[in-house]
Amino acid sequence: MIDTLTDLLAAGVALAVPVLVAASGELVGERSGVLTMSVEGMMLTGAFASVVGATTTGSALVGVACGAAAGLLAGLLQALLSVVLRADQIVTGIAANALALAGTTFGARLLLERGTVVPGFDRVAVPWLSDLPVLGPALFQQTGLAYVLLAVVVGLGFLTSRRTTWGIALSAVGEDAASADRAGVPVRRVRFLAVLVVGVLSGLAGTQLALAEVHTFTDNMTAGAGYLAVVAVIAGSWRPVGVAVAALVFGLAQALQFTLPALGVDVPFALLVMLPYVLALLAVAGLVTHSRPPSGLTTPFVRLGRTA
Amino acid sequence: MPPPQPTATPALELRGVTRRFGTHTALDDVDLTVAAGEVHCVLGENGAGKSTLCHLVFGTLPPTRGELLLDGAPYSPASPAEALRLGVGMVHQHFSLVPTLTVQENLLLGRGRRLRPDRAGLAERLGEIEQDLGLRVDPAAVTGSLSVGARQQVEIVRALLDRPRLLLLDEPTGVLGPADVERLLATCRRVAATGTAVVLITHKLAEVMRVGDRATVLRGGRVVGGGRIARTTDDVGTLRDDVGTGALSAADLVPLMIGRDVRMLDPVLAASVDVGATAAAPRPGVPVPGERPPAVLDVRGLVVEDADGARLVDGVDLAVGHGEVVGIAGVEGNGQSELVAALSGARGPSAGQVLLDGDDITRATPGRRTALGLGVVPEDRHHEAVVPALSVTTNLLLGRLGAYRRFGLLDRRALRADARDLAARFDVRAADLDAPLSSLSGGNQQKAVLARELSLDPLRCVVAAQPTRGLDLGAVDDVVTRLRDAATSGVAVLVVSSELSELLATCDRVHVAYRGRLSGPVPTDAPDARDQVAHLMTGAAA
Repeated sequence: MIDTLTDLLAAGVALAVPVLVAASGELVGERSGVLTMSVEGMMLTGAFASVVGATTTGSALVGVACGAAAGLLAGLLQALLSVVLRADQIVTGIAANALALAGTTFGARLLLERGTVVPGFDRVAVPWLSDLPVLGPALFQQTGLAYVLLAVVVGLGFLTSRRTTWGIALSAVGEDAASADRAGVPVRRVRFLAVLVVGVLSGLAGTQLALAEVHTFTDNMTAGAGYLAVVAVIAGSWRPVGVAVAALVFGLAQALQFTLPALGVDVPFALLVMLPYVLALLAVAGLVTHSRPPSGLTTPFVRLGRTA
Repeated sequence: MPPPQPTATPALELRGVTRRFGTHTALDDVDLTVAAGEVHCVLGENGAGKSTLCHLVFGTLPPTRGELLLDGAPYSPASPAEALRLGVGMVHQHFSLVPTLTVQENLLLGRGRRLRPDRAGLAERLGEIEQDLGLRVDPAAVTGSLSVGARQQVEIVRALLDRPRLLLLDEPTGVLGPADVERLLATCRRVAATGTAVVLITHKLAEVMRVGDRATVLRGGRVVGGGRIARTTDDVGTLRDDVGTGALSAADLVPLMIGRDVRMLDPVLAASVDVGATAAAPRPGVPVPGERPPAVLDVRGLVVEDADGARLVDGVDLAVGHGEVVGIAGVEGNGQSELVAALSGARGPSAGQVLLDGDDITRATPGRRTALGLGVVPEDRHHEAVVPALSVTTNLLLGRLGAYRRFGLLDRRALRADARDLAARFDVRAADLDAPLSSLSGGNQQKAVLARELSLDPLRCVVAAQPTRGLDLGAVDDVVTRLRDAATSGVAVLVVSSELSELLATCDRVHVAYRGRLSGPVPTDAPDARDQVAHLMTGAAA
């Protein structure tokens, strides 16, 4: 029983990491007032690019760089659409997801051979700490990439908190872009950069999934993890700690599909697969939290219409 | 603060500045010179181009033609950020503070590239401002929770943080109560005394006479006059000229502003520019004093709450009888909008009762209210009263299109005929009734709304929220007259407005909204009605 719990936590944390990384990027984007629905597609693109990069050069680190760069490019596209062209953020985001799914599936046929060994990251057991009961493996037996990404998430959380001028500007732009503009904040630049952050972190989240968890690329391998990241931001009330908790809950819900059958509990597998998405639905329906999104979310900024 | 630098170069100069929007010319060949250390008033009616002028100076709009000079150097800011950097501070008509941030965070916003906020530097500068100007703000307060007056204080402090050479205030007193207006005007003088050029944009003459050194009058986008302002020692109620000095008095400025002599003005018009004609206008159709007529609109203990349970309307009792005009005055944001929303059916009250001629309409749909004879002129014309993209005809008859059904289709001919009739009766000037409503001027749009609401059959009660906002004087006159005529014909009229002078000239009684409650009523024929209402607006009775 203890062993199963230990396994559940270890698997849950491992599955939560990609969702958390993507969600903390999405959080920055949403706080600036841009809803990036294309996190799913960016993750998939990042996963694909990282595997291509790692297999062709034989270096996992090059794979990480490729994953981040692919996320950056995808973010650039989304920023162009959402911030510069002021296109509908939800529609373009979903279109981008469809494009990413088709593109990576096709690309995998062209560039990837089945059965090739993908250089990746293995789990590093922190000496002594990883032997702690129950929590040890969950917290201290992750891949090096996961530790680095978690550090990035924490750093980003600090840089965009209200303790810094960046964080204040980010909140102001997302809440009341017109006022921020009049206070001298470059609204569009802030939003553009925020969407690039979403891109890079989503790309890295996909990289983590492909190089550190699955160790290969499969079609549609993100399978909705990007959408879970978007939901985690809502369920976490647009607060970093809340988002982390939500990501962890989703990770644990996913891990149940492996541990419950191992315990001999007779639950249809399909229901277990559904669980995280059912939780996500409940969260978006407002059953978990009643907090308010940034007032300016999905509203593009135009300085002045016609004033007489 | 550095001592004022004696300089011949004006702080701000506009030379032949023109701004067009499509075919509409908002500013036409405007010249303006503002010296350092003076309070320069830019005066004009709504639509005279005052706001456009602000946008040009603060970098939110570029001029179509002409040039701006700041301290003698060419000045063409591409954004507010650039204007701020070059030493132009602005206090906006509608606040430009992020409500969810604290005051401190709002003050730290947009200040340079450093990552760590310079809280110590800010505190020091706030101390200086407090010492020099007596302006105090609470840095820890959440901006959205502050009163309107306190919020504006923050706006002014923010505009002054970087020691601007030019401070621009766009209609700063519109949302303030009398006490806050006094404080603001005093601040303007003190800021000017430190050598900063202060431009005060307003349509209220009383303020100009109070603080202005010089004035420039805009009308229809052109400069129609200006010069030094005569110093008056007492309140502006009495117009006194500095005879023979060539300085401008209020009596000189009014005709410039509106193109008519002050003596020719209807008392309502005079009131709307606040020239001090406080005597209530003689009104026809006032019911016999003493016995109050039975209430047509009867509001009992009405409570409206926001999502968090805060009471926006907090137990309002109100009765409006046949042929009565009752006003609700007050600084905006004291629950007036929510009260009107609850009366019109746009928002459900959480407690209390609304009766219309004895029918309980507390939870009736807007359609049911219309059918029972409740006309509503909402505050936000574009979002709540009309569909700007639909034709004038459709908008005029929007609530009763069902009556024009023939074989399941609309009888366009009958529609057009009735619309033409209504437009003629209510003087809605439209070149083409099939053109979208948005092609009409603001005044004519409002007349169309009035035409629709006042032509209801039956019509028992009209609720008009800020009915004259943004209208030019001619349209104001028309709207007010229509409402008074409706009352004369026996309709109960409730007018909610932040224009105190207008209310005093139109209404029988005026209530004052303060923090969701109503105080008063003050009968408008009382000699000191204005003072009583102004006193209540500060929350004296709450």
